Amino acid sequence: MRHLIAAALIALPLAAPAQESVIDRAVTGHILPGYARAAAEARELAAAAQAECAPESEALRAAWHDAFDAWLGVAHLQFGPALEGNRLFAMGFWPDPRGAGPRALARLIGAADPVGRDPAAYAEVSAAARGFHALETMLFDPRAETIGTAEYRCALVRTMTADMATTVQAIRDGWTGGHAEALRTAGAEDNALYPTEADALRTLFGAAATGLEFNADARLGRPLGTPDRPRPERAEARLSERSLRNVAFSVEAIGDLALILAEPAGPEVEGDVRAQLDRIETLVARADDPALQGVADPQSRLRVEAIRSRIDELRGTLAQDVAPALGVAAGFNALDGD
Amino acid sequence: MTTRRRLLAGLAATALAPRLGWAGAGSPAWLAAARDGGGAYRLFGLSGRGAAVFSLPLPARGHAAAAHPKRPEAVAFARRPGTFALVLDCAGARVSAELTAPPGRHFYGHGAFSADGTRLYTTENDTAAASGVIGIWDAARGYARIGELDSGGIGPHEILRLPGAETLVVANGGIETHPDTGRAKLNLPTMRPNLTYLAPDGRVLDVVELPPELRLNSIRHLAARPDGLVAAAMQWQGEAAEAPPLLLLHRRGDPPRLATAPFAAQLAMQGYAGSVAFSGDGRRVAITSPRGGQAHLFDAETGAFVAAHAAPDICGVAPASGGFLATTGTGRLLPLGGAGPTADHPVAWDNHLVALA
Repeated sequence: MRHLIAAALIALPLAAPAQESVIDRAVTGHILPGYARAAAEARELAAAAQAECAPESEALRAAWHDAFDAWLGVAHLQFGPALEGNRLFAMGFWPDPRGAGPRALARLIGAADPVGRDPAAYAEVSAAARGFHALETMLFDPRAETIGTAEYRCALVRTMTADMATTVQAIRDGWTGGHAEALRTAGAEDNALYPTEADALRTLFGAAATGLEFNADARLGRPLGTPDRPRPERAEARLSERSLRNVAFSVEAIGDLALILAEPAGPEVEGDVRAQLDRIETLVARADDPALQGVADPQSRLRVEAIRSRIDELRGTLAQDVAPALGVAAGFNALDGD
Repeated sequence: MTTRRRLLAGLAATALAPRLGWAGAGSPAWLAAARDGGGAYRLFGLSGRGAAVFSLPLPARGHAAAAHPKRPEAVAFARRPGTFALVLDCAGARVSAELTAPPGRHFYGHGAFSADGTRLYTTENDTAAASGVIGIWDAARGYARIGELDSGGIGPHEILRLPGAETLVVANGGIETHPDTGRAKLNLPTMRPNLTYLAPDGRVLDVVELPPELRLNSIRHLAARPDGLVAAAMQWQGEAAEAPPLLLLHRRGDPPRLATAPFAAQLAMQGYAGSVAFSGDGRRVAITSPRGGQAHLFDAETGAFVAAHAAPDICGVAPASGGFLATTGTGRLLPLGGAGPTADHPVAWDNHLVALA
């Protein structure tokens, strides 16, 4: 998987001067290429749905997987244009403990609501019925095929994928149309979004730290539950069996950002971060439990717990070693956040 | 004669007179939890001069404390999502009772006593229903669990009793969490925080909600003035760059008011207020942001911004003579907008400073 990121980096100008700042590298080496790829893959998905809209279409499912992989490259960037207009939730509505997504879809399909045929109007429906998780229900949940007509469901899949492509593109446009520049010029006199460089670094660091926390506590923690009460039914994207793949792609992307942020802390800390990322990748590859359904089995549960511990360990390195070097170390209370 | 009258007036105004019951515990004026230099957690009693008059060990990191109105007794709550709270006999320096959240419940870290001190109310999460609960404990009989009320929302954080009344006011933060996922926020797309006023029998007397565009503003912490004016501090779950208001002022029967600083100052709060207090004279209200290292003072009547103070990792704030006393994670006690002790202790003061008033 790492070669995908490497390819994205090579596509950028390599003549970066030694003086290039951490913020510049995060913007040009991580954020912008990440959104470019996410937007391109989302367009591919919409095109695939135009060609074949049946849920069992291998081409459509493959395009959905590719687009989801690419989205996980930026899903941790929970600031800036992604937060406008609820776009972040419209792309990834999870966790959904009450099943709001399937219910909203059942309502639309059952009523053959015309909004399901109108990509522009679809932006106004509940975020629960939009994005990757709602589309997973359409493509992988056998119950979805028992409601309404195949013709309406087909139209809905095309509408949803078009809406997703528009949404990711809108986030990307927000970045290229001003937010990237605002981040890069943090500390400039009239920069209201990032009045100091520390504001920009804190935002980037927060994205990495919060993203890792989400992988550890939500993506792994929700299905792990407690040893007495494992909750395999809570695994993200278990119907498509990509629960662990989501952790893999997300942590890899966050790791890419973390390595950029770790540079001021020196080669030793950078080496620690890299080694911890490699260990997580190895553990994920060995887990052999794509939908995290083994959490109820003591042996495979241990493997999932080990991944979570390693992610927590990486979080510790970021907080203790990376943040102070960036000048964004959080205090006793600032870190507690309650 | 004049001296005595002035003294009495001063005590009444600051509402900081240590009650007789607390004399046996060294007459502290404030309580605060902290981590000490050795990494252990303790609850401290602080004198009016800022000296530690007692300290008692806590088994884990604390959050806030509730002081018994009559006895030198404090209930120290574990940090969210903890399931224990300790009743500390501050005069005898011992744990006199232990509260364990019932199965399927955990504490959020705050509690309040009834006026006569016979009931303790605690904010709790019903984890199966993801709904807020107020636990009721019999403080006259060893803190037996005797019932619970619906908190009127999700994620109730701080609870207060209005001074001179039995009415409870609850900050329902609106954020759904589950102990399995620590503090991961599970319902940001749908969260709706509110301020709920409850009668002790559970009747909902009033509910205050924020306008829809501020629904991501989690109402967490509370302060109340003797005349019933309530101040609520909020934590914004959206983009910090939007710099939304973080202070809500409300009196039952009136519409709520939002107070905010000029944009640049508001930005420095980073969308996060950790504690709120009225000043000793009741004329001002302060909110603190440990993330921004800022405290903002407002006029309690008009909601107008008065001043900003910067201090790294500032969070705890409570009334002090004429102004406020604040605490920081770097161990400092510092006065804000009034006289008061400045002192450094070799500890990291935790989120809240509780005035014994």
